[in-house]
Amino acid sequence: MDEKLRIMVVDDEKIVRESLYHWFRKAGHVVDMAASGFEALDKLDKTPFDVLFVDIKMPGMNGLELLAKTKEEYPDASVVIITAYGSIESAVQAMKAGASDYLLKPFKPDQMALVLEKVAIQRRQEDRYRYVKGLLDEVTRFDNIIGQAPVMQEIFDLIPEVAQSDSTVLITGETGTGKELVAKAIHAKSLRANGPFIAINCGAMQETLLESELFGHQKGAFTGAEQARKGFLEVVSGGTLFLDEIGEISPKMQIDLLRVIQEKKIIRIGEREPIDVDFRLISSTCRELDKAVQEGRFREDFFYRINVISLHVPPLRERKEDIPLLVQHFLNKYSQETTKQVNRVTDEAISFLKRYDWPGNVRELENAIERAVVLSKGRTLHLEDFSFLKPQKTRSAPPRTLREIQKDYIHEILIQESWNVTQAAKVLGINRVTLHKMIKRYNLQKPSDSN
Amino acid sequence: MANPKGLIGIIPMGTVPKHALEVISDRIFDLLGIPAHILNRVENPSYAFDRKRGQYDAAQIMTAAESMTWHDCPKTIWVLNVDLYIPIFTHVFGEARDGGSCALVSLYRLDSDAEGSPVSEEKLMARAAKVALHEIGHLFSVPHCTDYRCIMHFSTNLDVLDEIPMAFCHYCTAYLEEGVRRAGLR
Repeated sequence: MDEKLRIMVVDDEKIVRESLYHWFRKAGHVVDMAASGFEALDKLDKTPFDVLFVDIKMPGMNGLELLAKTKEEYPDASVVIITAYGSIESAVQAMKAGASDYLLKPFKPDQMALVLEKVAIQRRQEDRYRYVKGLLDEVTRFDNIIGQAPVMQEIFDLIPEVAQSDSTVLITGETGTGKELVAKAIHAKSLRANGPFIAINCGAMQETLLESELFGHQKGAFTGAEQARKGFLEVVSGGTLFLDEIGEISPKMQIDLLRVIQEKKIIRIGEREPIDVDFRLISSTCRELDKAVQEGRFREDFFYRINVISLHVPPLRERKEDIPLLVQHFLNKYSQETTKQVNRVTDEAISFLKRYDWPGNVRELENAIERAVVLSKGRTLHLEDFSFLKPQKTRSAPPRTLREIQKDYIHEILIQESWNVTQAAKVLGINRVTLHKMIKRYNLQKPSDSN
Repeated sequence: MANPKGLIGIIPMGTVPKHALEVISDRIFDLLGIPAHILNRVENPSYAFDRKRGQYDAAQIMTAAESMTWHDCPKTIWVLNVDLYIPIFTHVFGEARDGGSCALVSLYRLDSDAEGSPVSEEKLMARAAKVALHEIGHLFSVPHCTDYRCIMHFSTNLDVLDEIPMAFCHYCTAYLEEGVRRAGLR
C-alpha cells in the first residue's frame, strides 16, 4: 500500500469489524473500530480519520445517517459504505449523499484493494486542492492582516502606496480592529523596514512617564532618574514610531510632539542641547479626533500634522464576511500553540459568531477562539463552546426612556389580548382602572378607533 | 539467516497432499532459515462449515487453532483443502493476523486458472508456498508491500500471485528479520 491511511471500521457485528480491522492492519494502515454510529462520531470528534468503512445496516444510527453527519461535520473524511446484495438502492443513495464508494458484501479481496486505491487517489487530490487553496488564502492575507471583505482589500491596496511616502499617518478605528497591524504593515513595506518599529500606548501611561519614555532624560533630571536614558524618539531613529491612542495625550504633550515633528529635533529632559531625530510617525485613535478639535479638546495644528494620510480600519461588524476566515486563522494558531487538534467550527457556531456584534472587534474574536480551543474537549467547536459571549443589544436602537418602554409594552400586551382591557390588566399585573388611565395618558388607540 | 532457536509448525487439516506440505516446509527454510516441521494431521474443521455459503469460516478455524499450543513451535501454519471465507470477502487464499501465532493456507482455489482449467502440479506447489510465506510474513508483523516483486505484495488474484517471484524484497526481509528476532525464534 502506497500510503498509510487512518481508517475507522464502523459495524455493529463484531466479526465483520474484526475481519476488516485485521485486514487493514495487515495492509499497513492505522485502524480503529466503532460498534455504532454514535461511537464513530465520538471518535471522529477526538481523532481525525482519512476514511470510514461503514455498514449501512446498524441499529440506532444507520450507515446513511452516519454518512450524512460525517459529511456535515467532518467533510475531510471519506466514507465507504458496506451494504448487502439486494440493497443497491441504498448504495446509490449513499453515493448521492457523498460516499466515496460502496462495497456489496461479500466482496472479492481485489475489490477492497481497488476501493482503497481510489480513496488514496481522492485523498491525494484533496491534499493538492488544500495546498492550492492555501496559496489562495495567502492572497486574502496581507502580512498578518486577514480579510477578503472589499473594505479590507481597499486597505491592502493603500498600505504599499502609503508606505512609499514618509508622511505621518493617522489610523482610526475601534479598539481591537488591528490598527497596530496596519501600522506594522506600512512599516514593513516602507524604506524604513530595516529600522526599528516601536509602539507606545499613550493611553496607558501618565504624562510624566510618557514624556520621559519619548524624550529620554539626563541623569538626575528628576527623582529616580539615576541613569541617563535615551527616549524612544531617539531609539527609533531610522524606523517608525507608532503612537497608539494618540487622542489621550495632554495638550502639553501635543505641543512638544508638534515641535518634534516640525523640527525633527528633541531635547532630553534635563538637557539643553537638541538632538536630531529621524523617524516616521504613525498614530492611531479610536476617538473622533476631528470632533475633539471642534470642541477645543485637541489641538488643530497637531491634528493636521499627524493626519497627513488617514486610514480607517472598519469594525468587525462591518465586515462579517471575514469572520469564517478569521476564525479559521485563529483556530490554526491556537491549535498549534496549545497542541490541541481543534480544527473545525460547526456551521451553527459560525452563524452565531457572524450574528454576534463583536464590540471588542478582532481582538475579542481572537480571545473567544483561544478560550474555546483551550476549554474544548473535542476536535470541533460547537455553539455551546461560545456560550460565554453575551447576547447583544441592538446597537442601532437609540436609548429609550422608561415612559417609552412602558407605553410600548402596554400597547404590545393590549394587541396580544385583542384589546380586552380586563385580560390585558391581568397580564400586566395592574388593575383595570389603572390600565384605562394609562391608555388615556399614553393616547393608545384601538386600530378600529383610529380609523 | 542462521542459528534458529525455534521452529515453525506445519499442520495438515483434513486431507492435504503430503507433497504440498514438504514444499512449504522447504521454501520456509530456504527463505527464512527457520526449520519448519510437519506435525500430525488434525480433523477437517467441520464445525466451521457454513451451509448457506458452502464455505468454511476462517475466523472460526483461526480461533480454534489459536487455542492450541505446540511445544517448540511458536508459529504454526495450518494447511487445508477447503474453501475459506471471512464474513466480508467472497473467499480468501489464506488468513493470518498481524503478529498472530497461526496462519491458514487453503489449497482449494489454487489448483485452477481464471478459466477454471487445472494448473500444473509445479504451479500449484509454488502458489501454496507463496501464500504460506505471505501469511508467515504477517505472523511476524510484516505488512503488505508495494513492490510487486515481493511475496508480501497483496495479490488481488491468482494471475498476480503467479507473477510474484518466490522472494521477499530487501525491505520486507529486514522487517522479517526484526519480527523473527522479536518472536524469539532467533
